[in-house]
Amino acid sequence: MHIPDGYLSPATVAVTYTIAIPLWVYGFKRLKNTLNEETMPLIGALSALSFIIMMFNIPIPGGTSGHAVGAALIAILFGPWIGFISVSLVLLIQALIFGDGGISALATNSLGMAFVGSFVGYYIFKLLEDKKFAPFIAGWSGIVVSSLFIAIVLGIQPFWSEAGKPLYFPFDLATTIPALVGSHMIFFGVVEGILTQIVYSYLKDKK
Amino acid sequence: MKKKLYIILAILFILVPLGLLTDYSAWGEWDQEIYKKLIGFIPEGIKNAQGIKPMIPDYGEGSVVMYYLSALIGIGVLFAIFYILAKLNKGKN
Repeated sequence: MHIPDGYLSPATVAVTYTIAIPLWVYGFKRLKNTLNEETMPLIGALSALSFIIMMFNIPIPGGTSGHAVGAALIAILFGPWIGFISVSLVLLIQALIFGDGGISALATNSLGMAFVGSFVGYYIFKLLEDKKFAPFIAGWSGIVVSSLFIAIVLGIQPFWSEAGKPLYFPFDLATTIPALVGSHMIFFGVVEGILTQIVYSYLKDKK
Repeated sequence: MKKKLYIILAILFILVPLGLLTDYSAWGEWDQEIYKKLIGFIPEGIKNAQGIKPMIPDYGEGSVVMYYLSALIGIGVLFAIFYILAKLNKGKN
């Protein structure tokens, strides 16, 4: 889901940054209010966990791969704004240091993987709090809706064409939605769900 | 909770080269040449993409040592960011 540079039209870049910047500013304030000596190592470790989880590339039939994100896990432990900013910081580092995801696409990638993943995961979890598999469903739903967001942004890019040739990402919604949302529903969402369930249960276990 | 998180992190860190077992790219994150094969041309925007030059492209491009180092750098930088933010916070309050 890490969209590289050159895949999005300048209009898409402008709109997504216009939406993301105020959310980042507000989220940062929330993070600063949450950070103290006790929460800092925990939020730091959860962000590091998100970073390292994304390094586990999982191959799937069809010749592509993907990974879990961990946004819902942070969101259900520390709230959706903390999940959003933490995963955004992970994405920033991935883009700047490792060339994973473009700078021009950072707003889109953050809105999809970090914002949508955190908020969907958080509210699904709230809805099901007393259910045993609430963390699994929260993780699964969060990443699946993230993939839908990314699929929509990618799938509208062929709109920007010249002489019938797309200038940016060339495949439309009929291709991006089944490919991205389908693979996340069947594979990566399940991995994200299991991860969220196991880590959440382990952390909450009193032993 | 802190200790448990560090344990999980340590286990995942040790196992991180498992992430290198596949050559498959993520959907859409292909080499430019693939577009030529699939649609006959590389879209102008993708061909002329302007990005920054990353310090460690693609987490070391398949080397296990570089993959470990990438994981270490990622974890280190993230902790540093939160540490600095917490310090700044403390100074303010």
